[in-house]
Amino acid sequence: MYDRKVIRRRRVALAVFVALSIAILTAYFGESGGGFFHALQRGAQETFAPIESTASRALKPLRDFFGWAGDTIDAKDENKELRKEVERLRSELARTQTAARDAGQLRGLVGLHDEEGFPQGTRPVAARVIARSPSVWYSKIKVDKGSGDGVRVNQPVIASGSDPEDGPVGGLAGKITSVSGGTAEVTLITDASIGVGAQVMPAGAAGVVRPEVGDPRDLLLDFVEGGRRVTENTTVVTSGFKTDEGDSLFPRGIPIGRVTQVDLDEVEIYQRVHIRPFADLKKLDIVQVLTRRPTGAQTAGVITP
Amino acid sequence: MIVSPGAFVRGGLLLLLAVILQLSALSGLSILGGQLDVVVLAVAALAYYAGSVSGSTAGFAAGFLLDLLSGGTMGASSLVLTAVGYGVGRFRELRDPSHGLLPLAVAALATACWVTAYAAVSFMLDVGASVSALVLRDMILTVLLNVVVALPVFAGARKLLRPVLAVDPYDVHRRHRAPREAGPLGLRGLEV
Repeated sequence: MYDRKVIRRRRVALAVFVALSIAILTAYFGESGGGFFHALQRGAQETFAPIESTASRALKPLRDFFGWAGDTIDAKDENKELRKEVERLRSELARTQTAARDAGQLRGLVGLHDEEGFPQGTRPVAARVIARSPSVWYSKIKVDKGSGDGVRVNQPVIASGSDPEDGPVGGLAGKITSVSGGTAEVTLITDASIGVGAQVMPAGAAGVVRPEVGDPRDLLLDFVEGGRRVTENTTVVTSGFKTDEGDSLFPRGIPIGRVTQVDLDEVEIYQRVHIRPFADLKKLDIVQVLTRRPTGAQTAGVITP
Repeated sequence: MIVSPGAFVRGGLLLLLAVILQLSALSGLSILGGQLDVVVLAVAALAYYAGSVSGSTAGFAAGFLLDLLSGGTMGASSLVLTAVGYGVGRFRELRDPSHGLLPLAVAALATACWVTAYAAVSFMLDVGASVSALVLRDMILTVLLNVVVALPVFAGARKLLRPVLAVDPYDVHRRHRAPREAGPLGLRGLEV
């Protein structure tokens, strides 16, 4: 059917491309962040950014249409759940109003220990998402703001979402991992390479937030000491604990998510806490980069597993 | 595929369009919780019409471009897509397919191989975190969604590549039609 020349050419082509891929893979893992292939990635991303940005805007109606269709299908189930939620919230409202009156009376006593809320003076820069990683294994997005807008590597990124308890909320979405003149790459907190130092509020139990690959609505808070009981529906924020390296740091107090489930094994030393992130990481269109570190604030370490 | 500047331009355009469309629109588009993946479809279509050498070349190029622009691990996509392109191309060379619905099966198999092999490579390389069972659901949905759009994607790819194809599978089908049984007496039984 084929002469030997054709067969040889076919095999050589396969062998060359497989060998090239493995060589690139090895070189990519071996080099630092400033190496040839990383620089090539940044250059290519910068070059293609205008095209991707235009395509992203042009195809937004298509995305919105499919989003609308999906939302309509989900709406029926959601409606049922929300009715139950309303019932629960009505009874909770009565309890909260009573608690608020009590809290007002107690506020004077605890004023000295007021918790810091969201970090102040962070100079947020709004950015539009222009590309997303196509794989669940690498949760990365690209935004249309870069070093020219004050964006730098390791700056935290926040995004909006919704919470059954609080309605519309915002929370930590990821951190900047690569910057060029007009674009930046954000590695989301659902990426397998990320771990964020975090603390459960108000109990104070500390641990490391890591993703569960494939499920962007579930994060894991690992390494929480078994002695410090974590309860459901509590809020998890960045802890502000410094690492040995002293860099790649998040400011203290950025909300991450709400505790949904706690696995407590008698044998285990640590608890395993499931968190639902406040940021809706599946529907990111606009994010904010916190381009300035709050003065005097603690920062949370980013752990690379 | 006839090796010519035109072939490179048409093949390159197809892959570039697929990668840009994937990164700019389809990656953010959740349909029933799954995602379309047109890059593997473009590679499979090119290999299906042009053979194994063009398929593996297209797989490598598309994977390289995808890793370059998506910020993923360089080399991982090109490794898997090279194998997918070669496999589809060999299937076309050995079986000489001509059935109009065959792209559906090719798309399903190519996508299944791509998502499974890519997951395996990613898992071996640097994913240290625990993996949710939803990954499996996403993979199955991606295969199903790709099957749904396979026919238009393959038809579009064929239209773009046809001027530079050495052999078009559907033209082969026409050449193999049964000889005429009707017509003037002297022509019956002859291929005219």
